[in-house]
Amino acid sequence: MDVLKVENLSVSFYRPEGEIEAVKNVSFSLREGEILAVMGETGCGKSVLCKSILKLLPDIARIKTGHIYAGGEEITDYSEEQMRKLRGSFFSMVFQNPMTALNPCMSVGAQIVEAVRLHQPGLSRRERRQRAAELMHLVGLDHPGERARQYPFQISGGMAQRCVIAIALAAQPSVLFADEATTALDVTVQAQILDLFLELRKKTGMSIVLVTHNPGVAARTADRVALMKDGELTGVGDVEEIFEEIIHRQNVI
Amino acid sequence: MMKKKFPALSLLILTAIVIFCFACEGLMAMDPRYMDLAYCNEAPGKEFFFGTDTMGRDIFSMICHGGRISLTIGFLATLLSTILAVFAGSVSGCAPARIDGVLMALTELFLSVPGLLLTVFLQAVFGGANVYSLSVVIGLTGWMSMAKVVRTEVLQLRHTDYVLAAKCLGGGFFHVLFRHLAPNFFPSVLFMAVMNVRNAIIAESTLSFVGLGLPVEEVSWGSILSLSENALLSRSWWIILIPGAFLVGTLLCLTNLGNYMRGNANRRHSNLGCEKNHKKNMKQL
Amino acid sequence: MRKLYIDRMLYNVGKFVLRVFALSVLVFTISRLAPGDPLYAYYGERVEKMSVAQQEQARERLGLNEPLFTQYARWMQGACRGDFGISYQYKTDVKEVIAARIGNTLILGGLGFLLIFVLALWLGLFCAWREDRAADRIICKIGTVTSCVPEFWLSLLLLLVFAVWLDWLPGSGAYSVGKEGDAADRAAHLVLPLAVVVLGHLWYYAFQVRNRLLEEVRADYVLLARMKGLRGKQVLYRHCLRGALPSYLSMMAVALPHILGGTYVVETVFSYPGIGTLAYESARYQDYNLLMVVSLLTGTAVIFCNMLAGMISGRIDPRMRIHGLPGGGEVRG
Repeated sequence: MDVLKVENLSVSFYRPEGEIEAVKNVSFSLREGEILAVMGETGCGKSVLCKSILKLLPDIARIKTGHIYAGGEEITDYSEEQMRKLRGSFFSMVFQNPMTALNPCMSVGAQIVEAVRLHQPGLSRRERRQRAAELMHLVGLDHPGERARQYPFQISGGMAQRCVIAIALAAQPSVLFADEATTALDVTVQAQILDLFLELRKKTGMSIVLVTHNPGVAARTADRVALMKDGELTGVGDVEEIFEEIIHRQNVI
Repeated sequence: MMKKKFPALSLLILTAIVIFCFACEGLMAMDPRYMDLAYCNEAPGKEFFFGTDTMGRDIFSMICHGGRISLTIGFLATLLSTILAVFAGSVSGCAPARIDGVLMALTELFLSVPGLLLTVFLQAVFGGANVYSLSVVIGLTGWMSMAKVVRTEVLQLRHTDYVLAAKCLGGGFFHVLFRHLAPNFFPSVLFMAVMNVRNAIIAESTLSFVGLGLPVEEVSWGSILSLSENALLSRSWWIILIPGAFLVGTLLCLTNLGNYMRGNANRRHSNLGCEKNHKKNMKQL
Repeated sequence: MRKLYIDRMLYNVGKFVLRVFALSVLVFTISRLAPGDPLYAYYGERVEKMSVAQQEQARERLGLNEPLFTQYARWMQGACRGDFGISYQYKTDVKEVIAARIGNTLILGGLGFLLIFVLALWLGLFCAWREDRAADRIICKIGTVTSCVPEFWLSLLLLLVFAVWLDWLPGSGAYSVGKEGDAADRAAHLVLPLAVVVLGHLWYYAFQVRNRLLEEVRADYVLLARMKGLRGKQVLYRHCLRGALPSYLSMMAVALPHILGGTYVVETVFSYPGIGTLAYESARYQDYNLLMVVSLLTGTAVIFCNMLAGMISGRIDPRMRIHGLPGGGEVRG
């Protein structure tokens, strides 16, 4: 069963200078519990693709054509309010730079609790904190009580990324988009975060879309790989297939 | 963000006002200082385009002549304050920390004296007010915030990598200054200078209005309005509205020009999307 | 931690005292260098009736022949005891003259400040939410125009329209003759001056709030907040505002004396009996004792508020609160 299906999706930026097509006629599907790596050069439209599915793009960007199905339902024409209800609970996203993704003026605990409160409004104050502590434990943050009181600038990049993941997981989403989630981190921390994704998938059974420009990351973590170039998908397949094809192509050249 | 539009209309109006003030000696039908008591408080009409004031002077000629004085003061005061500010700011930005600290403390001290009171003091020191003394006084009170901006810019620029790179490539002091530093802080200095012209004109008119600047006999945009209390009593709206419109028009044009010179904001797009602008954006296509 | 806090407080108090001291030296020197016989400040018009010998004697007695430094020391001595000399124009103690009027200025300036504080924040949020849409553009245009209107001319305009043409509101003074205690009458007299104070400053601050928020709205954390499922408006109020608030509060602390000082011109036009009218009168009639105290008062307020601003942003912004710069850091602007 496909949790997410995208058909012929085209996204354009309408600038005063003219239209820029960032995503061209992309189709792919995401199976339940699967990790799909979207791989391509910087600026090829990977990030725009993810954000357009969540409708988090700035005003000047629009979905031109295509359909998006989430859990079997078409959400292409969903209003902002309808999308808002899906965000966090069905889709979640982890961003490239955890240090800027967290609000610098709020303690990380408050930011996690906020996400919990949005999706489980019935909980009491204590239960919310409890739930936040569970989430922090889930993503491998130690001493949740102390951590929660810290501000983003007081913790390391890896820790901050774990906090962002905790926020993303607050409402047990079915699909997690990881938009270059490890790029801004140290290499050892990258490996830890990738392991965390694998572990989370095992625990929660969610699907993950891993956006990266690093073939190593894709090969290590993903089940399937989608290659992107200049806004187009040039190939989707199992990790082995795709990498063999790449090697083959390069040998031919 | 879209590129800022060039404020052509503002420039046009400003040029028109400047030409009107400086080149219209012939148009000035009457001597602005001549008080014809037979024609007090005449409403605008054929003989007096903008009417006459409570002392029987022709407002048309007064605006023309007064504008010359006001604009001159604005320009001279800005010249002085800009020179002072650039000097103090760059010395402070380049000097060792201790001298910088003293200079900045001094700037703070000057800033903490309320501007108008400082002006009043200086005015008293200089004695009788004329165009030049008023320019000096306004110039001396308007350099502080600009000096701070220059200092910040110089400090920032001094430590940028491209300046270092330019030096490494063998660029001399003046090469670095003119090719690399000046283009960077020029827009903000220019912006502040234009704003200083505006502030100087406001200061002149305010001072003259409350009777601390130019005397009533010396016609400027401020001193024309200092007679407005009588005008209020006699309901002569033209004495207040017409010179004021010229004053505000000039200030507005200067502000628009200054904002344009500050350079393009060139910001990213808002992350707060929410579809709210979609319709508008689609319409623009 | 506690010791550090006390140290910082002491440092701030010391800096404050030092600055006020420097300010008083500056103001004193200028006032003594200014033309006009300081003897007038003590005796008023009686000086003209004195003989040259009497004048000389008085000078000697008042210490006016001594070096500036000694004179300053004496003035300071008096000032510490609360004796600031006599106002030439009002023929009474400077302290009394000021005490009689400072209330009026504080009402006008204080109300103006409160209104500006609330309205600027609201207007800034309103415009930031509607960035680049018609409402925002129109408000920005109007704001630019109002910021170009000198306060005195705006006062004249309002007087002409509301006091002369329409005759709705009184145009001068703080109360009608004989209605000193009437609150409604006082309020009616406040409307126009207050309108000028607010209109004259509002857009400057609202525009700063708007621009600051527009920067915040472009930050990455907005995406994360929306991804959580927050509405756009909730993100603006709960997240972006939180980022903009420290700088707004410190800006408003700096603004406090400016707005209070901005009432000077307005008071003069509306003949409102406050410190501002006093400042201009004293400057015009060279009543230097009075002028000195007025400027010292205003200057001290500026210095105090500047330091307050530094402390506020140091307490609110967690980045500054935790890493803490010594002395709370100055707000430069």
